Amino acid sequence: MKYEMVAGLETHIELGTNTKIFCNCTTAFGGDPNTHCCPICIGLPGTLPKLNKQVVEYAIMAGLATNCEIARVSKMDRKNYCYPDLSKAYQISQYDMPLCEGGYVELSNGRKIRLTRIHIEEDAGKLIHDRGDTYVDYNRGGVPLIEIVSEPDIRSIDEAKEYVEKLQLIMKYIGISDCKMQEGSMRCDVNISVRPQGSQTLGTRTEIKNMNSITYMAKAMEYEFNRQVDVIENGGKVDQETLRYDEVTDTTSSMRGKEDAHDYRYFRDPDLVTINVTDQQIEALKKTLPELPNARYSRYVNDWGIPENDASLLTKYKKVSDFFEAACDGTENPRTAANFIIGQIFRTLENDSAKEEFNVAITAQNLNQLIKLLDSKKIRMNLAKSTLDKMLETGKPVNQLISESDMGGLDDATMLKLCNDAITANPNAVNDYKNGKEKAIKALLGFVMKNSRGKADAVAVERTIKEIIK
Amino acid sequence: MVSHDDVIQIARLAKLSIKEDELDALTGEMQNIIDFADTINSAAESGEAFDNINNLSNVFHDDVVIPSYPTEKILENAKDVADDCFLVKKRCD
Repeated sequence: MKYEMVAGLETHIELGTNTKIFCNCTTAFGGDPNTHCCPICIGLPGTLPKLNKQVVEYAIMAGLATNCEIARVSKMDRKNYCYPDLSKAYQISQYDMPLCEGGYVELSNGRKIRLTRIHIEEDAGKLIHDRGDTYVDYNRGGVPLIEIVSEPDIRSIDEAKEYVEKLQLIMKYIGISDCKMQEGSMRCDVNISVRPQGSQTLGTRTEIKNMNSITYMAKAMEYEFNRQVDVIENGGKVDQETLRYDEVTDTTSSMRGKEDAHDYRYFRDPDLVTINVTDQQIEALKKTLPELPNARYSRYVNDWGIPENDASLLTKYKKVSDFFEAACDGTENPRTAANFIIGQIFRTLENDSAKEEFNVAITAQNLNQLIKLLDSKKIRMNLAKSTLDKMLETGKPVNQLISESDMGGLDDATMLKLCNDAITANPNAVNDYKNGKEKAIKALLGFVMKNSRGKADAVAVERTIKEIIK
Repeated sequence: MVSHDDVIQIARLAKLSIKEDELDALTGEMQNIIDFADTINSAAESGEAFDNINNLSNVFHDDVVIPSYPTEKILENAKDVADDCFLVKKRCD
């Protein structure tokens, strides 16, 4: 029998506020243990938490960017559980009146993954287990989180990966979180079940906790899917339970029996007052949202004629996309800027995080000037490329690297002379070419380009050299 | 009505071990607690609903960092301390 995967994700995202959700301690990552703490965030009796306004605004922005309804009235609740990472023995979260409900994230295959809700809550402290002891550091305790809960609409590992990537990108675009999975500022719990293909009923689900990389999430889902299918095929039944994934053995194992909501004894936090949100506030926040990645991608592909792969690469990093937009401003064809960025500029950025940071020596305006010189035919592509390399190396703008006299190309007589010089200076390359080594022509071409300081038209040079040595 | 299964489930979550012969008594006690809460609930229904005693809403703090407490102060009341951390017995589920 063929089985289908049914999965939903709970995604926790740390918000990039300066201060914690209920006090004014810093949210800075790391720091020596228990140096970012005060009586409120370590939960001493008699303290009074006060909600961070920025947290509410960021959560509303997340809701708006994912097509949610924003609640006009909302409140905070206590979720009771006893574990040393929570000093109060409860986490302040939202239960039945979350800030955002509904909404969806659209995947590239056109499927919409519906969102149940987005609520705000506090993060827990960090535990370090060593032999029989546990060391508790509350620096992270009280750092604001949003939890984005999806409906069980995900049907494959690829959809799960794309869903997480899309969420990550949206949150980065709207600037509410850096979503660094390796630093724990974005983590996912995966609810997963299986059912015979074509069936409409949901199977019993398990929950895999705390996935902090997309790669491991995919592996854990694959393992768990196969495990559940095996259980069913062998006549057993899947237990509803919470699992942890072991990266080393690539297996899941039981953490505990799954709690139901009523086991947490949720009740309203009496220390925190009602949150009222007005239509005007929502409208004002809507105006602060930038164009979102999906919209940008469609505009690049449909309006600007950028190939799909290139459009994906350009929109994958917000800084790159912003740079691209500025570099295109007033130029003839956006593909020119796209090619420069994906080609020469990306080559100077060795990995994903370097592209994310996008620390390049030139500004988008510098690239824009270069492209305009190309558009107006003042320089040729060869010169533009070599100039861009120099710009990236030195950080100097175009006008310091190309003089007026460099513009306008080479006259025919000078080009012919340079071609003859190249042939005289490179007898071996000429012989190689004559003996059938097509590539040898490149040495001659390089000689002319170098000595013309990139001004020569490479196609014309190659044609001329071939004619001379024929 | 509170059942034996409810008591067993709550004991499991609270990590309490209970004996079979305690179940009847505990179930009865728990039922009394629920009945008491029901009494309070029905009394509250007749009054006016309010969010909080001061009728406040939208009390926020600004997102501006104020220096945290010195670590010694934070750890002052801890029973055990090591390496600037609170130290507790390891408890894993």
